[in-house]
Amino acid sequence: MEVNGQLALTVLMGILLVAVAAWIARVENWRSYSPIAGGGGYGQQDSYVSEEKPSGIIRWLTTVDHKDIGILYGAYGLTAFTVGGLMVVLMRVELFDPGMSLISNTFYNSLLTSHGITMLFLFGTPILAAFSNYLVPLLIGADDMAFPRINAIAFWLLPPAALLIWAGFFPLPDVLPAQTAWTMYTPLSAGVGAGNQANAGVDLMLLGLHLSGVSATMGAINFIATIFTERGDEVSWANLDIFSWTILTQSGLILFAFPLLGSALVMLLFDRNFGTTFFSGEGGAILWQHLFWFFGHPEVYILVLPPMGIVSYVIPRFSGRRLFGFKFVVYSTLAIGVLSFGVWAHHMFATGIDPRLRASFMAVSLAIAIPSAVKTFNWITTMWNGRIRLTTPMLFSVGFVANFIIGGVTGVFLASIPVDLVLHDTYYVVGHFHYVIMGAIGFAVFSGLYYWFPLYTDRMYQKTLAKAHFWLTMVGTNLTFFAMILLGYGGMPRRYATYLPQFATMHQLATVGALLLLAGQVIFVWNFVQSWLEGPKVEDGDPWNLRESGLYTAEWDWYDKKQQTAIADGGEESDETALTDGGQPEGDADDRDDA
Amino acid sequence: MDAEPGLSEQYRMASPWPLFIALGVPIAELGILFGLFPLSVGGLLLFGGSVAGMATESSYARTPWRAMVVVAIPLAALGLGFIYTSINLPDRGFAIIAAAVILVAGGLAGSLFAQDTEEPTY
Amino acid sequence: MANKIFDRDTLLDLTVNMVPLFIMAFFIVAFAVVTPFGVDPLASSLQFGLVAVPFVLLAILTYFAGRAVAGSEMTGELYLPGQAGVEGAKPLGEDGELMNQFDEDEEPEAAVEGEADTDDAASEDEA
Repeated sequence: MEVNGQLALTVLMGILLVAVAAWIARVENWRSYSPIAGGGGYGQQDSYVSEEKPSGIIRWLTTVDHKDIGILYGAYGLTAFTVGGLMVVLMRVELFDPGMSLISNTFYNSLLTSHGITMLFLFGTPILAAFSNYLVPLLIGADDMAFPRINAIAFWLLPPAALLIWAGFFPLPDVLPAQTAWTMYTPLSAGVGAGNQANAGVDLMLLGLHLSGVSATMGAINFIATIFTERGDEVSWANLDIFSWTILTQSGLILFAFPLLGSALVMLLFDRNFGTTFFSGEGGAILWQHLFWFFGHPEVYILVLPPMGIVSYVIPRFSGRRLFGFKFVVYSTLAIGVLSFGVWAHHMFATGIDPRLRASFMAVSLAIAIPSAVKTFNWITTMWNGRIRLTTPMLFSVGFVANFIIGGVTGVFLASIPVDLVLHDTYYVVGHFHYVIMGAIGFAVFSGLYYWFPLYTDRMYQKTLAKAHFWLTMVGTNLTFFAMILLGYGGMPRRYATYLPQFATMHQLATVGALLLLAGQVIFVWNFVQSWLEGPKVEDGDPWNLRESGLYTAEWDWYDKKQQTAIADGGEESDETALTDGGQPEGDADDRDDA
Repeated sequence: MDAEPGLSEQYRMASPWPLFIALGVPIAELGILFGLFPLSVGGLLLFGGSVAGMATESSYARTPWRAMVVVAIPLAALGLGFIYTSINLPDRGFAIIAAAVILVAGGLAGSLFAQDTEEPTY
Repeated sequence: MANKIFDRDTLLDLTVNMVPLFIMAFFIVAFAVVTPFGVDPLASSLQFGLVAVPFVLLAILTYFAGRAVAGSEMTGELYLPGQAGVEGAKPLGEDGELMNQFDEDEEPEAAVEGEADTDDAASEDEA
């Protein structure tokens, strides 16, 4: 039996290797394109139809173009968002009723674990990489990323990572989903004791997580190298845009945080499989928490800094004026980057660590609130007295600010030791970080997806559906997560599949909110897919009319040139005219025609 | 900003190798973690071969053959580490060394029999 | 050299990071003065180190970031953020105009008109 299994594996592996070799030999034979001899002059080259890219699915499997990779990251991130979102819908429906009704408690635990890891590692980090891959080279005037192939490797590590993380849900014999929660606290995650967490499903999940960390690290190195070395001549540090600043800081954080997670995960895997004792014995559990949160807290800022960059980028465009205190935002971003490594144990106030150390972590946690608050004031003052155009990206950005204030203020209270000791491990914490992650990060992602929609699809989305998406998401987010904050004040502990009847009303409100969110996202997917396929073509390189307020930026300039090249080459004709998403008076449009 | 449209298209924007480097890593990790010899060897071969191919493609190496030998060296060191240090996982160590040996063999064979072709021929 | 780069404007921009530095300095002093949990060689030095290390790192990073940004402001042409790569974008003017960019007491119309280069953009459109 054992030998047969090995034999079968060997045969399968051999077939795979031969198939890969054969396939590569075929693909490489297409290498008619050679860099120097190619094309025969620009005039004949169908630029942007890009002859040197293979067509069809092969193009997507072999691309090293930063824009294609950005789109791959985006598709991947949205897929993961769908999976993680559907998981939590199932959980919220279960929580409509105090008892165990729809799904078993263990399945609830599995979904809880997988929802967290999916949203943070498979949606959050990749979807931000989608924006940064597509935009940063355009914004800083680089031809591509510094290491285009490394970039592709970083992306292609992610699909196997997702398969491994979700492996427990697949109908594999003897493989159960992990039920460790996303923090993977030992000793539970070390598989000791009477539970079923010694199962191989947990190992697979840890491996997947490790892979996603490798991927993020490779991407981060690439971004740091790109922003330092590939900037155009005019793009000095003083001229660098805010989104690239946040990506640079985020990449620095990834570079220091993710390798630590990787090492800790390898140690945990060794504990589970090879009998090492890193996390068992006295102090082992607290060691894991220190290692995990030394990664985990910077991870929070890894996730929130680029969205802050997106919002800082979008809000001025629709306020008709520059970002207020641009350099305040830049320096405070850098401050967050440094300080985020000095606050990790505020997740561990309740573990009984030395009160003197707790006090220090509280001090730095309070200090890190300042740079975030500075940004909030900058966004508000940017909008103050501006010519606000409430387009969908702007609505999502304003929603970001509103939700981020609630998420941030609740966080300041948690940073205070006495308050934390009361609220620790309650739904208050869950409400707090969901306000930041869904209410802020999610909103900024949507803002960016709508703002740059013409850039990557050549089409305009349907604005009524987009606004419906916004309002459902805004109301749903606040209903769900404010109810959680109140539940936390009431003492409802987090992570449970069942609860006491006294919490039923708030839980039901939260479930209704989650269903509203679901409805909103269904509209989003419909709008996104249908508009991408059939939406009105954008003819203009300036779909948001930014030139008239002098806020036109490099990526739209690139897009404008691309449009004009396509038309000059006899590119696709379209008789439909794109409608920009609301806001500007008609006179503006006339002005533009004159120009 | 590519002021001249088409400027950034001057270099090749497609490469088959990254996908397989990324596929080789998890296969090898799975094999080594669960002690599945064929997966360990196959994954490492996929990884090492693709790294050599990519190094050649981006002109860090003139032919993939010597690059394969270079990739094999750290693998062999890792394998020896698995066997002879306190990690003490000889089965996995042998799998890693097997992959290194196959890579070296492939590299030698390639440089002996395929020296005149510019393109990787496997 | 340092004085030329760290002029009044730059220092004003850097105040944003002075506030967290001040908060941390406050706590360092407070921990020195008030010790309700006693003094223990290991725990107390960790206690101070955990605040002092971020303090020092933040100060260093702020210094170098300020030097990089303010230094390149002096040597190169300035554009609105994200606009440097736009063909035909008009550089920002002298120090005065630069200052206006970052303290926006003026009415928004002026800010919009002042930096708009619709003519350039338009001529580029037709080209």
